[in-house]
Amino acid sequence: MSRFPRTDPPPASDEAGMLRAFVDFYRATILRQVEGLTDEQRAATLGPSTLTLAGILKHLTLVEHGWFRMALHDLPDAPWVGDGYESDPDWDFNSAVHDPWELLVSRFEEAVAESDAILDAALATPEGLDLVAEQEWHGMHVTLRWILVHLVEEYARHAGHADLIRESIDGATDL
Amino acid sequence: MAVDRSDPPLAASEAETLRAYLDYHRDTLLMKTDGLTQEQLSRTHPPSELTLGGLLKHAALNDDWWFCRVFGGRDTEPDWVPAGAFDEDDDWELHSAKDDRPEELRRIFDSARAAADAAIDRGLAAGGLDATSSMPSRREGTPFSLRWVVLHMIEEYARHNGHADLLREAVDGQVGE
Repeated sequence: MSRFPRTDPPPASDEAGMLRAFVDFYRATILRQVEGLTDEQRAATLGPSTLTLAGILKHLTLVEHGWFRMALHDLPDAPWVGDGYESDPDWDFNSAVHDPWELLVSRFEEAVAESDAILDAALATPEGLDLVAEQEWHGMHVTLRWILVHLVEEYARHAGHADLIRESIDGATDL
Repeated sequence: MAVDRSDPPLAASEAETLRAYLDYHRDTLLMKTDGLTQEQLSRTHPPSELTLGGLLKHAALNDDWWFCRVFGGRDTEPDWVPAGAFDEDDDWELHSAKDDRPEELRRIFDSARAAADAAIDRGLAAGGLDATSSMPSRREGTPFSLRWVVLHMIEEYARHNGHADLLREAVDGQVGE
């Protein structure tokens, strides 16, 4: 049994409701894929790829901050990032293998709660899903609609990585 | 065969955005399987039994299943599935792909994609993304909206592209989004 509840997206819903249901489904999926392992197992790779389950979870924590705090509202990154990226562009992936499980989970859950609060407020504006991000990304401004669909595919793709890595660690599939 | 993939638009309507992301991931799978031999497409990355060729055929079957059959209501298998193929193997498409030449896998994929796109066109014209599926959800007993089906296929493709990322890197070291 997982401590992370997960709900299947409903067969029919309005646009924002459906997008949020798929994003929430994958937020829970990623936690389940990394759950129940030792520190060593969370740091294991399936070569030649250097990805780890711990790294994927920390990366997605910063993806949440990146799109909601930083892109949508031009706020600074989470304070615990510090100068991590100055010496390593893949700091999120590489530093995660030293983080304890409860810290990885609490930071992820805090990021998701903050994202959801920002999302609630954004959806309550007249622009709704057409709301344009304050910060430029590759020289352009994305919409909230783009961010949510992107999050579904970003989470799902990393869940695909996590599927193969987890199977190589303990044989678990379909988490 | 070079693959021409476009980035989804940053500010567009719901239907345009969803279709662009679906196409982005279909093209990503084509990129991940492009330029490989039949033997390379048949390699596994143990302990998983998945192969790049199998993912291509599985994606074609999913495009056909969700858009043409569940949503569109067609009640027959596509012409590239032999009669009784699934009788002895529920994962026939994943396992049989090793016997298909790369061009044949691509032909199957392209034909399923075209049929699925035609079903999406018809659905959008009839009822937009709220259009309902012919077949109901087994769990809920109610029809799927076209919105659900397209989003499901985006996450389905994206997750399999995550598998394809690691498989392709193991085959020849190629990485990238």
